Amino acid sequence: MKHLLKPLMVLALSGALAACTGGARQDTLATALTNLGSDALKDGFGRRKEDPLPVLTRELLDGVQGSVLEITVEETDTRAYMFTAIERRDQGPGQVHVWISDDRVSMSMRNGVLIAMRGLGNDLLSSSSADQLSGDRPGPVRGGERVYRVLARDNKSVPYAMACALEDQGPETIEIVELRFATRHLRETCEGAGGRIVNDYWADDSTGIVWKSRQWAGPGIGYLRTRRLNK
Amino acid sequence: MIQDIYKRAVVAACLSVMLAPAHAQTAAEAPTLERRPPPSLNFYGVPGLLDMPSGEMLPDGEFTTTVSWFGGNGRATLTFQALPWLSASFRYNSINDWNLGSFSTYFDRGFDVRFRLLKETNRRPSLTLGLQDFVGTGIYASEYIVATKNFDVPGLSFGGGQAAGERGQLKLTGGVGWGRLGTANSFGSPFGSNRPVFRPGDTGGEVSYEQWFRGPAAFFGGLEYRPNDRWGFKLEYSSDDYVTETQASNVFDLKSRINYGIEYQASPRTRLGAYYLYGSEIGLSAQFSLNPYVPGVPVRVAAPEPILPRPAYAESPEAYSTDWAQSALATPTMRDVLVPQLEASGLVLESLTLNATTAELRFRNLRYRSMTNAVGRAARALAQVMPASVETFRLVPMSNGLPLSATVVRRSDLEALEFDSQPVEALQVLTGFEDAMRRPAGTTAVSEDLYPGFTWSLGPYTAPAYFDPDVPLRIDLGIEATASYQPAPGWVIAGALRHRLVGNVADSDRTSNSVLPRVRTDQVLYAQADTTLDRLYAARYWRPGSNLYARVTGGYLESMFGGISSEVLWKPVSSRLALGVEANYVRQRDYDQRFGFRDYSVLTGHASAYMDLGRGFLGQVDVGRYLAGDYGATFSLDRTFDNGWSVGGFFTLTNVSAEDFGEGSFDKGIRFSIPVGWFLGTTGKQGVGTTIRPIQRDGGQRLDVPGRLYGQVRQAHRQALEGQWARFWQ
Repeated sequence: MKHLLKPLMVLALSGALAACTGGARQDTLATALTNLGSDALKDGFGRRKEDPLPVLTRELLDGVQGSVLEITVEETDTRAYMFTAIERRDQGPGQVHVWISDDRVSMSMRNGVLIAMRGLGNDLLSSSSADQLSGDRPGPVRGGERVYRVLARDNKSVPYAMACALEDQGPETIEIVELRFATRHLRETCEGAGGRIVNDYWADDSTGIVWKSRQWAGPGIGYLRTRRLNK
Repeated sequence: MIQDIYKRAVVAACLSVMLAPAHAQTAAEAPTLERRPPPSLNFYGVPGLLDMPSGEMLPDGEFTTTVSWFGGNGRATLTFQALPWLSASFRYNSINDWNLGSFSTYFDRGFDVRFRLLKETNRRPSLTLGLQDFVGTGIYASEYIVATKNFDVPGLSFGGGQAAGERGQLKLTGGVGWGRLGTANSFGSPFGSNRPVFRPGDTGGEVSYEQWFRGPAAFFGGLEYRPNDRWGFKLEYSSDDYVTETQASNVFDLKSRINYGIEYQASPRTRLGAYYLYGSEIGLSAQFSLNPYVPGVPVRVAAPEPILPRPAYAESPEAYSTDWAQSALATPTMRDVLVPQLEASGLVLESLTLNATTAELRFRNLRYRSMTNAVGRAARALAQVMPASVETFRLVPMSNGLPLSATVVRRSDLEALEFDSQPVEALQVLTGFEDAMRRPAGTTAVSEDLYPGFTWSLGPYTAPAYFDPDVPLRIDLGIEATASYQPAPGWVIAGALRHRLVGNVADSDRTSNSVLPRVRTDQVLYAQADTTLDRLYAARYWRPGSNLYARVTGGYLESMFGGISSEVLWKPVSSRLALGVEANYVRQRDYDQRFGFRDYSVLTGHASAYMDLGRGFLGQVDVGRYLAGDYGATFSLDRTFDNGWSVGGFFTLTNVSAEDFGEGSFDKGIRFSIPVGWFLGTTGKQGVGTTIRPIQRDGGQRLDVPGRLYGQVRQAHRQALEGQWARFWQ
């Protein structure tokens, strides 16, 4: 029902009057309504849900250039595929990997641990998970204090401070699109800011990759599930 | 509520030792952005029961609209919680079957203000002092002190509502009222019995402080029981005897002082109620609560490309060579590469100034309501394109050809802090803000296809007219065509044509009875024409010196006046204070708003001080001469939020006497603006809002000039940029 709200509001706002603009770029209420109308037609009428997602096979993935990450937003049950925007190092531990999807949602990870999201609204501005990482080892290696900073209220950075404890749940073999990986299942339990979250990571020490994870991306977005589809 | 979540968290933690928590359970336990619904409102639109108020305050910044009706008494109220301890309300009410004086239906406006004296704690109730209808003709005038205490009691889950932890809420309220709230079973007059009687038809408009807390006082009280988060039950004992409505007139029958009703939370922002009042009448109410801190849909901005760091100096020092700066073609080439990068982010390049180590980009922000977001995107574009030796970026947003400010960031900071654990705070302390007039040395390449520029648009417009005694809201709807031609930087020629499609503003047969020159009270005459030239003018904007901004505008400036307007503003980039001077010479336009003028002309002008008072409060004082030739000062205060919301009020005192001014005694009003993006989750600078005056008269009226300087300058200055710094990396 939520996906009908936007187009209904567009119709209510613009009424029967057409809104048109022309000439060099400018910003008016008319432009806003026009853009919103075309966005609503794309999003509001269920294009995402009804477009069939490709059936994944290892053959298909072998033909793809570069790494692919599958991401599912649990709250809206939407799935997207992300490709590498950049891999780099900075003064923090490990390697930063920024993934970006076709519809301009990006996810930044450090050693497979989420550090920022952009493009979903109420974005995760940063997470202090760098304190729980070490060198290039995938996933968190220790517990400790973590602060999630979320874009909320009136364009402010709102902190959610939590205390995290890490448990190694032991080795687990997982299967991702016809390939099996031997991983360690790490579970992080964090409490604070009026709630409790649980992050899961399936980390492979030999390749330094977190193949599968379920991570919390802040109160505005909720939990995300990721699967690394290829190397 | 917090204790609730904590207890559930502890229970869940114990369970998790034995069982793996299901995904749904962890999602339910995570912190959320949701908030508890605000206190419910009464028929007067303030937190309370039915006709009686309570001692509670709304959440800070809450903006509510309440429409209520019973027994022929209709009230529409806007309430704003300006500070956690202070709220203000503006009400419009109608009373049917009034039949006193010359009115069959009585319409009136009023203002309320409420102060929290004590906050509620575990041991004591909250205590509030309220002044109801304290300005104006005062039909609802009363003062009260009221206390409210909340208790946790057993709850019930039913009818779509969930009782968190099977807990419900009981509110007990009790208080003392004077004035209208002191008429039923009064126990005496503790502060003196001298209270003037309500006189319908009085011009009103004065703050009648000499009557506050005078006259008979009476007790009132009640309770509200909420079994779950959707339903509520209210019961009250009313101390309002409705003396004028039941004895002097016959609006309804008052048979009992016990009122009760039920309410239903239809959505997080809407609460509906049905009631039975005074033993004889059914009542209905609808309460709409908006809060600037809780958007309808959070604003979504497409993710930016990450910043590409330069190679390390130690590894490739030749990348940092400055030889490229010797070439005369360097800057124009960089400009051409930069234009598509900026366009992808919704920005337009105006000019680029380069030397070996510094780049200054002057750009126009078309897409983002948040100027900080635009500055951040401009910095990313420079980091993408500039040669490695360029270390300092100066980002200068432009408006109407005016460079507004320079934000100075270092490229090394951008590269190092993008994925820091506190990127927003860490970059903010390293960013400098300077006057845009200080241009760095170097070569400048100007955009080649911006000027001459032409834009046009066609869209809807609305023109409301408030509080005609016969019809409270008149409104015209139509199409507006606007066009703007920019022949060179700082020059604008613009105009707007309006064609009304439907409306009833022109139907009023009230004519102005003003003894002053009719500068604003001929609205009905101006509304007769269907197609009008709303404005057509030429304007020049320029920077006369550092910290100074200036404009001259000439032509048909607004629907009622045309002439010439000039303004100078002094505002340093980091200053909270700005000073301005405006001088205008205008003539009143013909009623048909084509090219003609009427005989009346006037020289108006003001000296203004603008003060950023902190916490988003902007105060303004203007002293000078108004359109009717009167001299005086206007005081305004607006609470602004960094996402574009603004709610405020103003009043003007001039040398026009209260009798000459007419009904209302002096000009006053409220205004608010809500960004469209707050409702729809889009970026974009448009807002919806209006200015509401209880009565429109001719005293204390200012010219409505397009393109005044303070608003466009302030949006790119330090307080505005830093207030939304969280958007820099978006």
